[in-house]
Amino acid sequence: MAPDREADTKPAAILVWDAPTRLFHWSLVALVFVSWLSADQGYMTVHLLSGLTLLALLLFRLAWGFFGSTTARFGDFLHAPPRVLRYLRGRGQRLHAGHNPAGGAMVMVLIAVLLAQAVTGLFATDSLHFTGPLALLVSEDASLRLTTLHGTIFNLILLLVWLHVVAVGFYLLVKGDNLIRPMVTGRKPASHVPDGLRLVFTHPVIAVLLLAVSIALVTALFFWGTT
Amino acid sequence: MTGRISAWAYAAGVLLVTGCGIAAAMALRPGFAATVRQVTGLEPARIAAPDSFYTVRVAPLFDRHCAGCHGARAAKGQLRLDSFAAVWRGGRHGDVLGKDGELYRRITLPQSDEKAMPPDGKPPLSKDELTVIRLWLADGARGDVPAATVKDAPRLVLPVTIPQMNPQDVARQRAPLADELARLQKRYPGLIAYESLASADLQVNAMLAGKRFGDADLQALLPLAARIVRLDLSGTAVTDAAPLSGLRAVTHLRLAGTGLTGAVAPALDGMAALKVLTVTGTNIAPESLAGLRRRGVTIHGEGDDGA
Repeated sequence: MAPDREADTKPAAILVWDAPTRLFHWSLVALVFVSWLSADQGYMTVHLLSGLTLLALLLFRLAWGFFGSTTARFGDFLHAPPRVLRYLRGRGQRLHAGHNPAGGAMVMVLIAVLLAQAVTGLFATDSLHFTGPLALLVSEDASLRLTTLHGTIFNLILLLVWLHVVAVGFYLLVKGDNLIRPMVTGRKPASHVPDGLRLVFTHPVIAVLLLAVSIALVTALFFWGTT
Repeated sequence: MTGRISAWAYAAGVLLVTGCGIAAAMALRPGFAATVRQVTGLEPARIAAPDSFYTVRVAPLFDRHCAGCHGARAAKGQLRLDSFAAVWRGGRHGDVLGKDGELYRRITLPQSDEKAMPPDGKPPLSKDELTVIRLWLADGARGDVPAATVKDAPRLVLPVTIPQMNPQDVARQRAPLADELARLQKRYPGLIAYESLASADLQVNAMLAGKRFGDADLQALLPLAARIVRLDLSGTAVTDAAPLSGLRAVTHLRLAGTGLTGAVAPALDGMAALKVLTVTGTNIAPESLAGLRRRGVTIHGEGDDGA
């Protein structure tokens, strides 16, 4: 899918994050919170819906990582571990329009762990009042093991969220680089973006189409599992 | 652009905020607090004594009724009831013990209540089982009170489990000797039968044939020897030369009222599976059965020549 729109690059603040990526980010934050709260309070229907929505969003993000705007693409922020380590040691390129190498690694780990969480949730059961949409496709023992794994992964998510927030706080308070505002407005100060960078933005309609496909896939998975 | 602070100040701030977060979580979640206290060693690990009322009487009830959903495989409500430490740790909402605690409340709710435990039509705890748990909770849910000292506890009744019969397995076990058995049942009507519906083992009641049953007849049964576990030769015409040692699967043997003597002892010694022997009314001297006695075989009727 070809990118079809180019960004302005000259103003004091430069558009670096497209709307779909920003919406994905904050939706993910909300859904993780809702998923935790609903499970904690026993609202399992809400938990199921938030989990399925989360899964659809993650599928969308995977697709957006290939077909999305420059800063949303995996190719832009996914780097080999040595480069990530070099960045963490303060070497290498310091300015990045999108995710820096360490942030990119964090994004990938978060997506992988959240995907694992959503998938194990599909097979989960509490043996009492809730059964995940795919739980009946595996043995009860396997379902219970995946349920336990679902709980364990949540603790990992808590740890990663803590790490993510601490890192963002570090950039904000120690390095003076506000990563939060660009994720809201989409714009970064020009001084924080490499000179001469040309960002290409994919049309939002493509994002809507990819999201629709993701939702359709998850819906089909749900009905296939439950019927 | 925001103001800067040093990395050390930030690290201290992160530690402070994280510590406050953990403290808040501990305050809001007693179960989490108990886990933290035990993991950090602030609270000693709780272990129940092997002869304690908990280990002997309470833990088996938790295993039977609760641990399926509150154990290693699954811990509903983050509650595990498969160890003394876990029971004390409590669940998501903290402590479940105490005589008015959540545990006792839930197991005494009417079965129609959706919060009743065990749920979903699983058999509820009996009155005696509830009494055992109530007594344990009332005494502080301790793990060091010897079971023998709790005088008001209902009598301990050990559950008896009867293995389920699997007709396919039984048929498969019976198949190798089925033809031979049918032939011999025809030849000796009423004398040979399976031990039970769920067994491929045989019992032979030759007593019904009386003196018409002799050594040659016993020899004829040897093809079934691997499955004959009970053999009653009482009142038959078998002699000391009867091929008893070939019946290696027999566990119960009755020789009452036969003319056997001590000379049969070597053959009896060869019956490796023998557990119970009846020699009432025979001429078998007790001393000739010394070998069997040493093996732990129960012998009835020794020295009794008339019963």
